[in-house]
Amino acid sequence: MRARRISASLVERLLAGPVLWVGLGLLTAFALGPFVWMLLTSLKDRQELYATPLQYLPHQVTFENYVEAWTSPITPFSRFFLNSLWVCSVTMVATTGISVLAGYAIARFRFAGRDMLLLVFLATQMFPSVLLIAPLLTQWRALGLIDTYQALIYSNFSFTVPFTVWMMVGYFSSIPRELEESAMIDGCSQFGSLCRVVLPLAAPGIAATAIFAFVVSWSELLFAISFTTQTSMRTLSAGLLYMVGQYEVQWGPLSAGVIMSTVPVAILFTFLQRHLIHGLTAGAVKG
Amino acid sequence: MSSVQVALGSRRARPLLSLRARTLLTGYAYLVPAALCLLATVALPIGKAIQMSLYADVLFKPQDYRFIGLDNYIHLVEDPVFWLSLWNSFVWVFGSVVLQFVVGFAAALLLHQAFAGRTLLRTLLLLPWVIPGVVVGLIWEWLYQPNYGVINDLLIRAGWLHDRIAWLSNPDLAMAAVVFTNVWRGIPFFAIMLLAGLQAVPDELYEAARIDGAGVWARFWHVTLPLMRPIIVVATATRIIWTFNYADLIFVMTSGGPANATQITSTYTLMQAYANLDFGYAAALSVVLLLVMLAFTAAYLRITKGVEEAQ
Repeated sequence: MRARRISASLVERLLAGPVLWVGLGLLTAFALGPFVWMLLTSLKDRQELYATPLQYLPHQVTFENYVEAWTSPITPFSRFFLNSLWVCSVTMVATTGISVLAGYAIARFRFAGRDMLLLVFLATQMFPSVLLIAPLLTQWRALGLIDTYQALIYSNFSFTVPFTVWMMVGYFSSIPRELEESAMIDGCSQFGSLCRVVLPLAAPGIAATAIFAFVVSWSELLFAISFTTQTSMRTLSAGLLYMVGQYEVQWGPLSAGVIMSTVPVAILFTFLQRHLIHGLTAGAVKG
Repeated sequence: MSSVQVALGSRRARPLLSLRARTLLTGYAYLVPAALCLLATVALPIGKAIQMSLYADVLFKPQDYRFIGLDNYIHLVEDPVFWLSLWNSFVWVFGSVVLQFVVGFAAALLLHQAFAGRTLLRTLLLLPWVIPGVVVGLIWEWLYQPNYGVINDLLIRAGWLHDRIAWLSNPDLAMAAVVFTNVWRGIPFFAIMLLAGLQAVPDELYEAARIDGAGVWARFWHVTLPLMRPIIVVATATRIIWTFNYADLIFVMTSGGPANATQITSTYTLMQAYANLDFGYAAALSVVLLLVMLAFTAAYLRITKGVEEAQ
């Protein structure tokens, strides 16, 4: 009996000490190793990059890959970057506005078909985006929207809106209804109480929703390659793929491009990860 | 509250619509933008896809465009690549989700412990999940690269490998290689979801179990797992659906090759539309994809409902 208790506490001590640290070390190496390798690659010149045997660390750190990627006239990464920035920003602002209104309506008003509507928003998230490519392409072509930002922004709504509405419903439901009611007794209109009472309280949730919309549209690839034909209209994801498809793969500039595409989402995420995680799990637990 | 407003209202002129009706109208008005979005970008396109699937619609053969009824679906049933792609989808989803779950759970248990720098590490470990799929695909293409890739180099240095392997162009290894990449990408998702589940388990329960003499394993098996069941079901089901639909990674890394070894149904659909420009057949494939997904979603909703009621 005594021996068993000692071994049990030994197990617990091992779990809290060495196992924890070894596990965390392995996990970190696995998750971040590929990024480190890409970063090292982007800082090597051509000769070091294709050296045999493989050279792990750059002898002479160089930023020429970044300069080349950013200024190349054939694969204008700076243009791709700005395209993405514009498309994602507009998607973000519009999605947030749309989902704040819809989320508030679903959370606060009891109307016929409310549960059905929530279910539709949920089911829409499950749809494969390859389903939408051919019909949307036909639709945008008929409207003359091929090679425009609008086509990409509208298409992004198909996957941002259903999810962000769910997130917003979760946030609004967690705000006590009494706060609005007392504001309305004090003479606020319905819309006024939404703006003055509910929105400030839901601000972290709204910010998380906005970031989410930005990050997912930053990743979008299939719409971007299908609805644009000109190089100058490509977004980052589509542009990176285009860089691969051009000649033989230039891993130097490409790795620089990869690092530059990662940085904005990484920064955004650091700021808001706590809220975003809260939103994701809250929605998931309730859904 | 409503009685107060009615009282206020009666002092002024009687409003055209009752408060109840006005509230409802406001609610509907707030829903209009979202509804329009879904109508234009989801509902209409799905209707259009169903319609397209009944036509011979190959983009570079406009002279052949005509109604052909169910011919695209008959073609699909007779198409061996379609059946292969369904099987590949199963391997892709099963392999990815099981491994993501196991490693993600281990990661969640580790991150649940208290240690210095925990917040920073949690943020950093999420990185593989937030970056675009193209970026994930390119990073791993470079790691797998036969001559200059670091994976071959490390394995050779460790003495586990003699000759360099072309991971992504070997039909026997390509699927394992893309699944491994997808595992790398999906671990953080399970880690944060399950971590949230772990944090929701009250400490008192662990204390009580400890006092009753339950060891580490018994506490995990009898306290942690049962309480986390709902979040496990939700996280796994959403992940299965998402992985089944996900085409970007394979499209970037192998385009379904070599010899369709990594061709899953969603990439096959994509290739039909994007490379072969056969919109009719692509639409038929996507309708089938949608039906599979709807069936799965319905089953999933039933299960989660069961979980909620069991609570």
